[in-house]
Amino acid sequence: MRKSHPIRRVVLATAATVSGVVLLLTLKPASDPASASAAGAAPQQTAAAQESPQGGAQGAGSGTVTGDAARTQYGAVQVRLTVSGGRITEAEAVQAPKGGTSDQKTALAVPRLNQAAVAAQSARIDSVSGATYTSNGYKQSLQSALDKVKAADSAPASPAAPSSGAAQTTSRTLTGEAAQTPYGPVQVRITVTDGKITEAEAVQAPKGGTSDQKTALAVPRLNQAAVAAQSAQIDSVSGATYTSNGYKQSLQSALDQTGG
Amino acid sequence: MAAVHERRTARAAPPASRRSPALPLLALLWAGAAAVIALWWTDTGSVIGAAGWLTGAGRIAGLLCGYACAVLVGLMARVPVLEVRIGSDRVARWHAMAGRYTVCLLVAHVVLILAGYAAQDHASLVRETVTVVLDYPEMLKATAGGALLCAVGVASARAVRRRTSYEFWYYLHLLTYAAVFLAFFHQLALGDDFAGKPAATAAWYALYLGVAALVGWYRILAPVRLNLRHRLRVESVHREAPGVYSVVVRGRRLDELGVRPGQFFRWRFLGAGLGRTSTPYSLSAPPHGDLLRITVKALGGHSAAVPLLRPGTRVWAEGPYGSLTADRRTAHRSLLIAGGVGITPLRALFETLPGDVTLLYRARTAEDLALGGELEAIARRRGAAVRYALNGADGARPALTAGALRAAFPGLAGHDIYLCGPQGFAEDVYAQLRAAGVPDRRIHHESFEL
Repeated sequence: MRKSHPIRRVVLATAATVSGVVLLLTLKPASDPASASAAGAAPQQTAAAQESPQGGAQGAGSGTVTGDAARTQYGAVQVRLTVSGGRITEAEAVQAPKGGTSDQKTALAVPRLNQAAVAAQSARIDSVSGATYTSNGYKQSLQSALDKVKAADSAPASPAAPSSGAAQTTSRTLTGEAAQTPYGPVQVRITVTDGKITEAEAVQAPKGGTSDQKTALAVPRLNQAAVAAQSAQIDSVSGATYTSNGYKQSLQSALDQTGG
Repeated sequence: MAAVHERRTARAAPPASRRSPALPLLALLWAGAAAVIALWWTDTGSVIGAAGWLTGAGRIAGLLCGYACAVLVGLMARVPVLEVRIGSDRVARWHAMAGRYTVCLLVAHVVLILAGYAAQDHASLVRETVTVVLDYPEMLKATAGGALLCAVGVASARAVRRRTSYEFWYYLHLLTYAAVFLAFFHQLALGDDFAGKPAATAAWYALYLGVAALVGWYRILAPVRLNLRHRLRVESVHREAPGVYSVVVRGRRLDELGVRPGQFFRWRFLGAGLGRTSTPYSLSAPPHGDLLRITVKALGGHSAAVPLLRPGTRVWAEGPYGSLTADRRTAHRSLLIAGGVGITPLRALFETLPGDVTLLYRARTAEDLALGGELEAIARRRGAAVRYALNGADGARPALTAGALRAAFPGLAGHDIYLCGPQGFAEDVYAQLRAAGVPDRRIHHESFEL
């Protein structure tokens, strides 16, 4: 019965809600601690990816093996296995789709896939429903990791043996650190033969929305430019500046590894 | 004199009025909203860039909207403690207020999430919308549900509500159950705060299933049980005043209903073209043996058909509801102020309210006074006073001003006021009573104006 003031109420409710939400959002950190730590962990991961499969010297088949990154519609999936005594003792995803609804699908699917991989000791695991793309990418990367385990086990224990198997020329692949860009990570893998870059490719590049087109446009050019320049001093592809800069950064980190 | 009176009042002090559970309930509802925000807070690591802001705000809006939907349905579940202790009218006003807010949250959620995802994917808003609606799991259903909720919100807006029939509004409102059901699954399938979080998911299920249980029990099973048990039928229809009719309804075991004077039922008269809508009418007398009586002003629509009811017509009733009862009493003396057909609940209270009771009855002419004979009889029996406020011979309206009320009813501010009448009348009288120094907590009123 008290006199109602609809306008006053609307203004108050709106102001309270908007300022409350803005306050909540402001109180959250504006940079991602998870990605920062992931970036910090990246060298280790890439080092592991380097040593285990390429070095292939773990006679007893123990250590970590990282599979190739598998592209999915929502981003790359890359699996790392810890192998001990020829058995998979641990599986984890080094990369998985991020952003939007992908976050929660990844959170949902990856732990299950990890378990399934250890349980099955093979890539014949069930997909997680609702995360089919991620599951398929996972299985693909898992298979490639398993292939590497097999290759390493069967290969002669020669430290120089590359994954290609041919020992005539010293050819090896080096993967740079993943460079974070606002649109997603960029990670470059180069093949170095006799000290020269013979091939460059992006293991990871921004995906989704308009990023697909930009990646399709920029990455082949950047690959060519890297081989041509034999260094990270290459021109950015206009219209894909972030991707180009990320590419150059990751390329540089791969090149840094050739020296060492 | 006043001192003597005060002492007497103190000695014969009525039992302290039962505390309304309104405040604890409101606190609980707000705590729920806070818990929902806390869920977002604990699950969110960081908010990065414009996309992060938009998506974050959209998620908060979505979570609150999902929570509010459950609360809205729960408020309208006709839970007795809400209907009787807090008051159907007050709960309905909360529902209307929260409903408007919820529709705003829904719109904000949709816009912010789509804008956030579009910014994240560097896609156009249109393209992102198509992707989200068509490709994301459960989103087709959720889109349909959201559209329905918006339609209900628009139809309930005052401007639209006035131009549409009650039936249209009512049946559209029933669709909200479908809308809430449709929208439920995308919350769990896509909500960042639920995926892979069994505790949060379980709490959300508990909230929605709890509300569904309340609706199933109190809106469906309880009325079915009531009507099977009491088997109500129209006994007779009487004319009380021009356009005002009393309907007497006979049923079995009515004492088990626990009706208190001042309460109402929602009525459907089956097979008289009145079965499709249920309308609240107050009991105009305390239940008497196997008989209940309502008094209705034939205004149009539903109520216009009431005089044509045949004895024997089956009646479907839900109730009793309403908090305008003796429980609200805080003082020894009460003043009942009725405007027109607002006399109905006050007639029942006039007979039964303990303490000193005075009735002020406002009507246009003496002919328009319904139940006049009964009121006089009750007044004689309990030694209470009835005053009438009628238009003068020249059609002049009586002045129910603060001064006039204070002069007519000494010690007005110490009375409990029970007020019932048309909205405009009730608002005027309320303002005058407040001006005359009656505190708000002493003015008991039921208004179905949202």
